[in-house]
Amino acid sequence: MNSQARRRAGRGPATYVSAGLLLAVVLFPFLWLLQMSFRPNEDILGYNLLFRPTLEHYRALRVGHFPRSFGNSAIASVTSTLLSLLVGVPAAYALSRGRFRASRRIALWVLATRMAPPIAFTIPFFLAYRYLGLLDTIPGLVLIYLTFNLALVIWLMRTFFDGVPRALEEAAWIDGSSIWGSFLRVTLPLAAPGLAATAVLCFIFSWNDFFYALILTRTKAMTAPVAIVNFMQYEGWEWGKIAAGGTLVMLPVVVFSLIVRHYLVSGLTAGGLRE
Amino acid sequence: MDEHGATRPVTRRSILGTGLAAIGAGIAAAPRRAPAQAGRGKPFAGTTLNVSAWSGPYPKWLGDYVPEFEEKTGIKVNYETPAFPVYNQRADLELSTKGSAYDVLNLTFIYSSRWIGAGWFTPLNEFLSDPNKTAPDWEPGDFLAGAVAPLKDPKGNVYAFPWIADAYMAAAARYDLVEKAGLRMPETFDDIVKLLKAVHDKEGVKGFVNENHHGWTWIPYLQGFGGNVFRNPPEDLMPTLDTPEAVAAAEFYANLLRAYGPDGILSYTYDQALNSLQQGRANYITFNQAWLVQLGDPKKSKVAGTVNYSLMPAGPKGRFPGIASHGFGIPVGSKKKDAAWEFVKWSLSKDMMRRMLTEKGYGSITRRSIIAGPEFKQKMTINGRDVADLYLKTIDLAARGYMKYRTVHVYPQVDKQIDKAIELITSGQMSAREAMQKAQANSVADLKKAGVKL
Repeated sequence: MNSQARRRAGRGPATYVSAGLLLAVVLFPFLWLLQMSFRPNEDILGYNLLFRPTLEHYRALRVGHFPRSFGNSAIASVTSTLLSLLVGVPAAYALSRGRFRASRRIALWVLATRMAPPIAFTIPFFLAYRYLGLLDTIPGLVLIYLTFNLALVIWLMRTFFDGVPRALEEAAWIDGSSIWGSFLRVTLPLAAPGLAATAVLCFIFSWNDFFYALILTRTKAMTAPVAIVNFMQYEGWEWGKIAAGGTLVMLPVVVFSLIVRHYLVSGLTAGGLRE
Repeated sequence: MDEHGATRPVTRRSILGTGLAAIGAGIAAAPRRAPAQAGRGKPFAGTTLNVSAWSGPYPKWLGDYVPEFEEKTGIKVNYETPAFPVYNQRADLELSTKGSAYDVLNLTFIYSSRWIGAGWFTPLNEFLSDPNKTAPDWEPGDFLAGAVAPLKDPKGNVYAFPWIADAYMAAAARYDLVEKAGLRMPETFDDIVKLLKAVHDKEGVKGFVNENHHGWTWIPYLQGFGGNVFRNPPEDLMPTLDTPEAVAAAEFYANLLRAYGPDGILSYTYDQALNSLQQGRANYITFNQAWLVQLGDPKKSKVAGTVNYSLMPAGPKGRFPGIASHGFGIPVGSKKKDAAWEFVKWSLSKDMMRRMLTEKGYGSITRRSIIAGPEFKQKMTINGRDVADLYLKTIDLAARGYMKYRTVHVYPQVDKQIDKAIELITSGQMSAREAMQKAQANSVADLKKAGVKL
């Protein structure tokens, strides 16, 4: 491609400069956090760009409550994501394909659970959890994460299923497949990009949750975001641990997103244009 | 007969009820094992206590000694010390629902009025007056009166005993620069200005620094000028932020920040303020003793060899250093109050407090008998300055009662308005008069919204 063609394709110098600037703005907070996590304690709030990097903050995280909290976050987020998909995907399929009058209303009711702010659920859940002994437990966290993940799964997957032509399923039925068979072998694979995008979003929402974990956990089921806040000590904030913990907390989301990035892009843009 | 004296007919329900009551009475009357027998001298053996306090130095270090308590009493303790905001959020929710999840909680200073006023903590008087529950040598009167005062209700009932009395004082991180200018630690507000004019930007050190929580740091100046936050707290909660005294205090304090503070001073958290002093980037501050003594720690501070301390300087109307005390109390919902009291007694006993001082180096002691001892004086003598004496004098000053503004349950609303006003003045967006009038109007509106009759 010659330079004229590249310019026509939107890849001239101006594009690269703009993209670079945009990237710098977007990445700045992450890079700042990263460099802070390697700064020695005595220089942690300094502005000098040259410093001797240290791993002391990462080492410090190995003791104390952080490793367990990190594990709790992982278990709660993965379980909640899987459970949300397990329950939500068939529900979304039913709402997409079902020809019953209440389907639209049911979908709206599901969406309504996302409309209320978390605090609206917190007090009733807190009281119920206390009664049921679910406070400070991983199952308790998974259950509460379902309240927002399920709505997400049902609405997103319903849209993706709407995008899969019914004719393909009907062809499968003619070939002798059952409804579940056509769903598993035809519809779901075609909606895989959507499934991946939905899973990533569910995971991110669960992983990043701070509010519910703050209220509903104590020490045993404490998650990583709450553990990081606990580094804000009275005698001074443990900036190094906060930065190192923040960096580690970002990693799984980044890695997960990178793994499914192809699906993510096609999934998130699917349905934007229909023939 | 019911409570009004009428005779009830005999029904199946009443027969069933009587039968159940009889069974219940039988169970109640059945001989029980005496508690002492159950635990062989450990009356609460087998009990589990849930204890939580925010992660101040005392509660954190106390965790190291909890196994000793468990061994001594046979009580198992689930002990947690989350960060201050995390703790307060959880405790507030737990207390407001009168739950029994916790048996001992920290009574947080800024919520003391709300938590005590709402009846969420247990009055401790009954434990104190019973010699079987409290031995005389525990000596509740040994706690500093000024530190216990915020943990009492208006009738004088005590709800918690303090493990910290954080006292507001002054420090000059680079006192060598002050001496070079031929000055001493400021005694008055005017002296502060003299000092700052002399040392600001000397050797690249900014003159003044403070955190951006003006609702705490500015009040000693407000009261020093003769103003107050409310007309007569806690009875009369009419805000008095637009008085000439308040305007003068706001103008004075904002000028310290604007003229002598580092760039971006309005965004400084306490941690950043402390860090800039430790690094020798800023010099003078009026702030909490628990943080300021860290300037004298050579492991943490580059100014350990030059720092000096004094009482909070006096304004035209006197000296009003703030204090903040936090203590262990028993939530009203706890089902194990006697065992919880054992924990409170142990955690704040003279022996434990002395060990905190000698073994951990804890500096915010709340028992007078230990403060008077040689160990405390030795620990709190920094660069030859008797910080122990400043600490005691400050807490004695606070016992006069001018801290009542701080434990009023609606103070957080006014606190926010004060923060905004000082920011507006310091950044030059409004004059002191305009900003304080706005703060007054907004505070009145917020308080009315909160149901306060003005």
